[in-house]
Amino acid sequence: MRNRIIAGIGAVTLTITLAACGGDGGGGEAGEYPSDELDWTIAFGPGGGNDIMARTMVDIINQYELYPEDIRLENREGGSGATGWGYLLNQRGSGYGISTTSGSFITTPLQADTGWTYEDFTPVGLFATDDALFVVPGSSDIKTWEDWVEFASGEESVVVGGIGTINVDFIIHELLAEAAGYEIEYVPFNEEGQLQTALLSGSLDGMVSNTGSILGQIEAKEVTPLLFTGAEALPALPDVPTGVDKGIENLPAMPRGMILPPDAPQEAQDWWIKTMKEVVETPEWQEYIESNYLTEKILWGDEFYESLGTTVNDFTEILTEAGAL
Amino acid sequence: MEIFEALGGGIATVLTLQNLFLLAAGVTVGMIVGVMPGLGPSAGLAILLPLTFGLDPSGAIVMLAAVYYGSMYGGTITSVLINTPGESATVASTFDGYPLARQGRAGPALVMAAIASFVAGTVGAVLISFFAPMTASVAKTFGPPELFLVVVAGLLTLIVIIGRNKLLGVLSALLGFALATVGIDVGVGQQRYTFGSTELINGIDFVPVAIGLFGVGEILYTLWRGGHKESIAYAKVTVRDRAFWPTRQDYRDSRGAITRGSLLGFFVGTAPGAGATVASLMSYNMEKSVSKTPEKFGKGAMAGLAGPEAANNGASAGAMVPLLTLGIPGSGATAVLLAGFLMWGLQPGPLLMEQNPDFAWGLIASMYLGNVMLLLINIFMIPSFASIARVPFRLLAPIIIVLCVMGTFTVNGSIIEVGIMLACGVLGFFMRRYGMSPAALVIALVLGPLAEETLRQTMVISGGDMTIFLQRSTSVWLLVLMALLLLIPLLGPWIRRIVDAQVRDLGRARRYRERQERKNTVTGPDADVAAGEDRREGHGSAEHEKDPAGHAGPGGTA
Repeated sequence: MRNRIIAGIGAVTLTITLAACGGDGGGGEAGEYPSDELDWTIAFGPGGGNDIMARTMVDIINQYELYPEDIRLENREGGSGATGWGYLLNQRGSGYGISTTSGSFITTPLQADTGWTYEDFTPVGLFATDDALFVVPGSSDIKTWEDWVEFASGEESVVVGGIGTINVDFIIHELLAEAAGYEIEYVPFNEEGQLQTALLSGSLDGMVSNTGSILGQIEAKEVTPLLFTGAEALPALPDVPTGVDKGIENLPAMPRGMILPPDAPQEAQDWWIKTMKEVVETPEWQEYIESNYLTEKILWGDEFYESLGTTVNDFTEILTEAGAL
Repeated sequence: MEIFEALGGGIATVLTLQNLFLLAAGVTVGMIVGVMPGLGPSAGLAILLPLTFGLDPSGAIVMLAAVYYGSMYGGTITSVLINTPGESATVASTFDGYPLARQGRAGPALVMAAIASFVAGTVGAVLISFFAPMTASVAKTFGPPELFLVVVAGLLTLIVIIGRNKLLGVLSALLGFALATVGIDVGVGQQRYTFGSTELINGIDFVPVAIGLFGVGEILYTLWRGGHKESIAYAKVTVRDRAFWPTRQDYRDSRGAITRGSLLGFFVGTAPGAGATVASLMSYNMEKSVSKTPEKFGKGAMAGLAGPEAANNGASAGAMVPLLTLGIPGSGATAVLLAGFLMWGLQPGPLLMEQNPDFAWGLIASMYLGNVMLLLINIFMIPSFASIARVPFRLLAPIIIVLCVMGTFTVNGSIIEVGIMLACGVLGFFMRRYGMSPAALVIALVLGPLAEETLRQTMVISGGDMTIFLQRSTSVWLLVLMALLLLIPLLGPWIRRIVDAQVRDLGRARRYRERQERKNTVTGPDADVAAGEDRREGHGSAEHEKDPAGHAGPGGTA
């Protein structure tokens, strides 16, 4: 009996070890690209925006048989992306490591000593941006952006919420308040769920959220959307004005792009740019963009980094002014 | 009865042969995952979620619900057998579960925990069916001020578990609060005590600390005691023995605890963000307060295990309410489920239940069937799990340490966390050696950041005005409840004494009246009989008088 139990525990342990240790290896340089297994890092946990994008991409790549070897997909979450991208950083010079980006790709290096910035990695391209909606409780009398500005200007300050402090949400609130001329008290939350209940419970005057997360509340008329931060109106909510409509330009958004390790071979970068150009043309990718309410925005290679550079400078400026950095 | 039709329909959809197989497989896999120290329900779900990418939602949800319950119960197994909670919701199960196992009662403890989980799951499924819309409207009023109060209610448990040495207990809790400050300050985004390390920016996780303090700490302490040389008395208990199953007394002790725990758990679970941890701690607190034998708590009281177990399962049913009716996740595990909804192409939100009733009721039904399956499988599995307690310590100790290292590493693949875990193992040894409370530290570590975050949010919202807690009706109700929770153990003996005194006075007045009447009407031998009765009654009331004094002692320490 005893032996059997020990054997059982041993077997379980072994299985889990094998699963856990599957992370290294890869990176043979010789021959034509690609000729080796691909090590795909998702810097966040399963089910998040970044995870869904990466898994969709891999599905499409496999479906169209674009990558000849195996693709190993792994969630390496932790430290707001620092763990996963740090792992990619250590694959310097390899063409067989890959990862996708999100808002934290810009903000995490701003708040922690990650040992890297976006410039260290080799860019493939930007495919889409994840924009936000500004919403107020459905029970309030505020129905349009003008109502909101009038209400907010009349108050000494309004209480608004979002996720995190050194994050896109805070910057959007700062920019909106500055452009429309009202004062805010920003309440940071760690979780979307608590943020939404805070708004519904009447604790907040307004909040920003990703379209995918808040659309259910909008459809149920629990919240009223007043403004969309994307450049063009959302097909799902054509009546909600954009920042540009109201004269507020250059609102930041989460960049959904793709990167390779630092100093990746030129041929690997070229190969991925060529391949991703095919991927973004597929109906499956279009379906993904639509069902996740993203805004398609395609920039390849260095152009992707130029746009990131502008965003980083804006962020640094705003956060320094607000005293967060 | 329309509701039961919906629930019945849900169960009928789920009850296919393939799904039953998925359920059984899920519960078993979940239990194996949960038995790994450090891997609880959220980790189990997160590991398996990618496998369901592109799967049909109903099949996926059945599998996930099964894994959820399996891993939750797996966490209970480790809490009871090796004093190592797999996640924060089962910390309370170690308080009395582990002492029970040490007394050789691992079998009854595990069976009772499974029964408590099953009852709570059943109660939860029924409550969801009836009260979902109503509780949802209450959950909607939970902003940061209310959440703060709920977390404080959970922290009140510290009073109960701190133990005899108040100073060392408070010190333990303060250590926990101190560890909780590591990471990004949610208020202003600055880092605290991270020393620039990216591994620490999300703070010190509960998992390595709890595994170290409880699991490794316990092993070091047993070694120090010379436990490896002891021959274990309870090793003689075999599976076929009656001692493997709960006694009638166990059932009697647990009945009330399970009922209270199920209801408490369900309603606390509906508050987004508070969830199972707070529910199980509150239940432990409550059971000790209402118990007639509070001195047994912490030394293997069955009610102290059954209550929290029912509460954490009730809470996982409760957490489904905001998820399904508001589209808001109420716990870590439901947040993973919500991510799953998106993955399967469902739009979470208040309309989810209306737009996808089959799916929503299928989910509730799966949760329920997961419970049933858990109970069935457990009847076969508990004996083999419980026999782990019979493995000699010198063999078990190294295996547990290896498992602790593996479990810690698997969660985030972080070697720093393994270091934290081992350091906490040493800390846990000294805490036990000098009578500090590892449980108080862990509770402070889990609830501290939540309390800080919600209080700071509240203060930003109110502009620093504390009266905000009195201006919102839900928070006023919570304050009243907390006051009651605090006052009942303190005032209990006092109220009982007053009532007893009243009863005694009434009795005396009645007897006096009767005597007067008798004096007027009855004479002869009858009077003697009446006097005899009087003496007997008088004796009875004297005994009555002693009773409240007996209760005052334990009540006073609570």
